[in-house]
Amino acid sequence: MAATNLRDRLERIDAVRWRIPRAARPGMRVDGIVFGTEAMMDDLATGEALEQVANVACLPGIRGASLAMPDIHWGYGFCIGGVAATDPSQGGVISPGGVGYDINCGVRLLRSDLGEADVRPLLHDLAAALQANVPAGVGTPGRHHFAQRELRRLLEGGVPYLRALGFASDDDVACCEAYGRIDGAEADALSTRALERGADQCGTLGSGNHFVEVQVVDRVEDPLAAERFGVVEGQVCVLIHTGSRGLGYQVCDDALRALRGVPERYGIELPDRQLACAPVHSDEGRAYLGGMRAAANFAFCNRQLLTGLVRETFEGVFGRPWSALGLELVYDVAHNIAKVERHHVGGEAVEVCVHRKGATRAFPAGHPDVPARYRDVGQPVIVPGDMGRASWLLAGSEGAMRDAFGSSCHGAGRALSRKAALRAAKGRDVRAELAARGIEARAASRRGLDEEQPDAYKDVDDVVDVVHQADLSRKVARLKPLVVIKG
Amino acid sequence: MPFALRDHTADVALVIDAPSLLALFEEACQALLSLLVEEPSSVREAEGCAFEVPGDDPADLLVDLLSELLATVETRRWLARRCCVERVAGGLRVRAFGEALDPSRHRLTHEVKAITYHRLKVRCVRGRWLAEVIVDV
Repeated sequence: MAATNLRDRLERIDAVRWRIPRAARPGMRVDGIVFGTEAMMDDLATGEALEQVANVACLPGIRGASLAMPDIHWGYGFCIGGVAATDPSQGGVISPGGVGYDINCGVRLLRSDLGEADVRPLLHDLAAALQANVPAGVGTPGRHHFAQRELRRLLEGGVPYLRALGFASDDDVACCEAYGRIDGAEADALSTRALERGADQCGTLGSGNHFVEVQVVDRVEDPLAAERFGVVEGQVCVLIHTGSRGLGYQVCDDALRALRGVPERYGIELPDRQLACAPVHSDEGRAYLGGMRAAANFAFCNRQLLTGLVRETFEGVFGRPWSALGLELVYDVAHNIAKVERHHVGGEAVEVCVHRKGATRAFPAGHPDVPARYRDVGQPVIVPGDMGRASWLLAGSEGAMRDAFGSSCHGAGRALSRKAALRAAKGRDVRAELAARGIEARAASRRGLDEEQPDAYKDVDDVVDVVHQADLSRKVARLKPLVVIKG
Repeated sequence: MPFALRDHTADVALVIDAPSLLALFEEACQALLSLLVEEPSSVREAEGCAFEVPGDDPADLLVDLLSELLATVETRRWLARRCCVERVAGGLRVRAFGEALDPSRHRLTHEVKAITYHRLKVRCVRGRWLAEVIVDV
């Protein structure tokens, strides 16, 4: 297999960096750089992920290197964990495969003034209330239905539009990547079908690996950053993971259909059809960017409306307004997105289109796009793990700008396929196993819980160790799950 | 076996084997239903609907047909138990038979995000039509 050959071609740069040299495969315009340990590289020998890193290195206008984070695994076109920056001034392209179907899939972390001792006696009630209030699972509509005119405003206005409707606070807006609204969104670029799919899905969790988790801060590793983020040991937090739902899937689907034959028209040869692309400055590229940004704004709004449901649930269970419970947003960050950003490549400042597919923006201290309240410590980077072990709060660091176009990892990465996870769960009761570890887990179906069991994922601690060591981001706090609500 | 669901890292591949291209399209619809619903036989052929899929490339037609059925589930909350596919000028005409989604009888198992082009294959081998299409779940 070609993938095995690429494992053999990997050159070790240091303990956590590996190079796929440009010469490894015809058509590569830059090297591939993969972050990870030797054991992680060995795990990649039998899959296609390294091949995908090499494929992305073939895209026109790519600058620096085709990058992969330590949670790398197989994806569509781009691997999951892939980062690529293309330079529009050099014919650089935008590829929907570099963003994925779930546009602006991302995470947001809420902190609270509650401690584990406040929540532990009510864990069962809290889990039941969250499951009742948060629309989750396949085909479950949300509480909000947006008529097409309202939906268009939401798509272009993002979280600030929800603030005007009373569904978000000033602090909520201040603590989102891009302040919850990406400029240049074009609702008119969306198909009727995309709008139909989104009409009643804003404020829904969906299924698969999406979740709401109540967590407790297990340990703090960087007291100054933790203080800025409002996080202390023993504190209860809430992590929400979801994206742009059917609307985003449809935007990606429509774009891939519109791009049929387009690469050929621009003389672009592609090693994988799923890498379909167009120059950023072409009509086709601009159309996708406008639609993708609208879907990204939808996803920010989706997580915002879910935040409202979580706050309402906590109010019901603890009998106090959410503001009195301190349920404030720490940060909301995307991990499937493409953004035009300014970076330095070879000492030269360039404007590039950064594709992050299963990778998180990780801007360091001092960067003007980091909210003022966090600017002296760096942007919060939220890395969900699995439902049994841990998740992490990190802070962006300088190495991310130097080596990874301001990016870091996004999660643990799957270790087992869904079927393999089901086989591994046979004869077991995953929910009871989690309960024995003090975790209340609820899912729309038992199958969903089995597919997403902890063993289905790699250990997020190992992934975070790599990004910390590589200076892509630094550890701030580790969080453990208390309540898990799965779609 | 006319179709199978093959394990694929985080996702699932539909693998279809049929005596003709049109039969392949029809089997693909069954394969998709078996991924969406725990018990496909719980879906009755209570009503029909018809739509056309423009195009001529077999692989593109397969993606577009399955994408159409997927969108029908989300936008109209309607499940197709069986499809009859015929060639017409400029593409395919599809007659789908099924019924409205009823959560009391139809247990949905996976949210299928999309039908992908990754490693998409539709080909004729020794008189049999074979396809492999990966769906994002």
